[in-house]
Amino acid sequence: MANEDIEVYKRALKREKAARKAAEEILEQKSTELYDMAQELKATNSKLQKTIKEQNTELQGVFENIIDAYIVMDLWGNVLKMNEAAITLLGYDYQNNDFNLFAIADKEEVDNVMSTFEALISEGSVTDFKLKLNTKNGTQIIAQVNASLIFDENNKPIAAQGIIRDVTFENKYRQAIETEKQKYSRIIANMHLGLIELDKEERIMMANQSFCAMTGYTEEELIGKVGKELLPAEVDKDLVHEKTVERRSGKSNAYEARVRNKKGELRYWLISGAPNYNYNGEIIGSIGISFDITDIKNLQLQKEDLLSKLEKSNNELHEYAHIVSHDLKSPLRSINALVTWLKEDNKDKLDEVSLQNFAHIETTLEKMEQLITDILEYSSIGSDGKEKRAVNLNEIISDLVKILYVPEHVNIKIPKKLPTVRGDGTKLQQLFQNLISNAVKFIDKPEGLIVINVKELTSYFEFSITDNGIGIDEKYHDKIFKIFHSLNKRKDSTGIGLSIVKKIVDLHEGHIWLESKPDIGTTFYFTIKK
Amino acid sequence: MSTLNVLLIEDDMIEVMKLNRAVSSLKLQHNIVEANNGEEALKILENKDKLPDVILLDLNMPKINGIEFLKILKSDDRLKYIPTIILTTSSNKRDLLECFEIGIAGYVLKPLKYEDYVFKIEKLLAYWSINELITA
Repeated sequence: MANEDIEVYKRALKREKAARKAAEEILEQKSTELYDMAQELKATNSKLQKTIKEQNTELQGVFENIIDAYIVMDLWGNVLKMNEAAITLLGYDYQNNDFNLFAIADKEEVDNVMSTFEALISEGSVTDFKLKLNTKNGTQIIAQVNASLIFDENNKPIAAQGIIRDVTFENKYRQAIETEKQKYSRIIANMHLGLIELDKEERIMMANQSFCAMTGYTEEELIGKVGKELLPAEVDKDLVHEKTVERRSGKSNAYEARVRNKKGELRYWLISGAPNYNYNGEIIGSIGISFDITDIKNLQLQKEDLLSKLEKSNNELHEYAHIVSHDLKSPLRSINALVTWLKEDNKDKLDEVSLQNFAHIETTLEKMEQLITDILEYSSIGSDGKEKRAVNLNEIISDLVKILYVPEHVNIKIPKKLPTVRGDGTKLQQLFQNLISNAVKFIDKPEGLIVINVKELTSYFEFSITDNGIGIDEKYHDKIFKIFHSLNKRKDSTGIGLSIVKKIVDLHEGHIWLESKPDIGTTFYFTIKK
Repeated sequence: MSTLNVLLIEDDMIEVMKLNRAVSSLKLQHNIVEANNGEEALKILENKDKLPDVILLDLNMPKINGIEFLKILKSDDRLKYIPTIILTTSSNKRDLLECFEIGIAGYVLKPLKYEDYVFKIEKLLAYWSINELITA
């Protein structure tokens, strides 16, 4: 091979070596550059990832609850970020001042805040945390906080975000509801009414203390039992069943029933039941309120018993009065007949004095008979229980004036039209008759005057009968209405007339009184219920 | 005017005397038969051939009282036609009502005064003596 050729090959090889080395150097340099670049990219990437993670955690909360107050704070309570709603709610703005959330918590909340914050750190989130916050404008709100931690790329907590809701009113309502609930629970527990809740099969689901006390059973003994089978007395089982069926059709009811308690004693209950509905308006059972009326019932039975006894004895008294009056009057009649016969049979043999004595006997007999009649009348008032009717007093008085003995010198004046009242016509006539004839009787003036007048009051008529007679001394005003209190011993006075008057006025739910001046006259006033 | 056979059922002796004296003083020809009580009256009424035209009945009597007697009378097929007039002191409304319910021909209150009594008896007997009566 030629040297030239070898030299050429040598040089070419040398060039080739140098070129390869250069290429190797470039390659090495490029690859170093590439490595650096890769390292750089890696770092950027990791940084980006961190940011994204932070942003993600942060944004997730924000966008989910954007209308609520939203706050991001560091772990020392310094607010880093807050939304418009939070600014409106709390009055503070983190952009204007340094604003620490812990600082606006109410003083008494310190322990509460600390423990909750610890829980937040350890658990990563807290929900439904309530605390009192003092807002910038000085009002205190009750805030409900739901918060969670924000972590960095190494899962290290770096901040906390939270939603704050003003539940002041909600809380107040809830408190009010709770108070009401407690109030009713207390009422139910302490009321003297037995309360039970029954399911659709009439099984007792709830019974209050009073109900247990009323029955003598404990609540455990009652729960699950069918009320209508356990409690009603045999006689009233059907009744209670009937009422229960009624309730099932949605009807409320109240009724009396006899019940046997645990001891087997018979008690009277007033039971009031109503269907119980669920939210959908379906009947789910019933609620029963029971009241032990045994004592009242016994009193009522006692009262009925007494009333019937009273009625019986009243009847007896009425009969008795009639029999006594008959038995007393019969001898008087006989005496009268005998005296008359004595007079007839000895017509020409009796002297003036004897005839006068016979006349005295007759007058005495008359007075005696009048007395008996009056007593009978007095004891009969109110015993016949007549119904009250409309009575026109004008008719009654004009009739009376016709039949009564009114002497020439006595004038009866009725300046006003008299009303129509409700009452017993016969008795009202008797009332006026006694008062008018009394007035007539005691007029001692040459010109007698009797005035019958009336005044209309709200619920009463007030009548007055005025005379210009002898008058009544004030010390007797109370006495004259008492039976047998005749102030004047007169042959035509038995002392019962005014007692009858008083009794009739009482019967018409009125009052009677008088004004009088001795020698000048008397006015009797009485009222009659309209 | 016919002559009446009057059965007076009355336990009070003086009342009986009063009727007799009134009838005789009025110069009336009526026959008065007396019974002192209900039992006695029922015995008299057993004789259906000689039944009275009218009965004057007192309410207040021992043993069978007037109202009981009246009930017995009204439940008898024959005796129920005899006009019965109550002669009593009782102005008890219940008695009056009950008597009219059972069936009576009159209810006369005995007055206190003998003269008033004579007056009433005269009218009473005069009325029944002009009536057509079912006689035995």
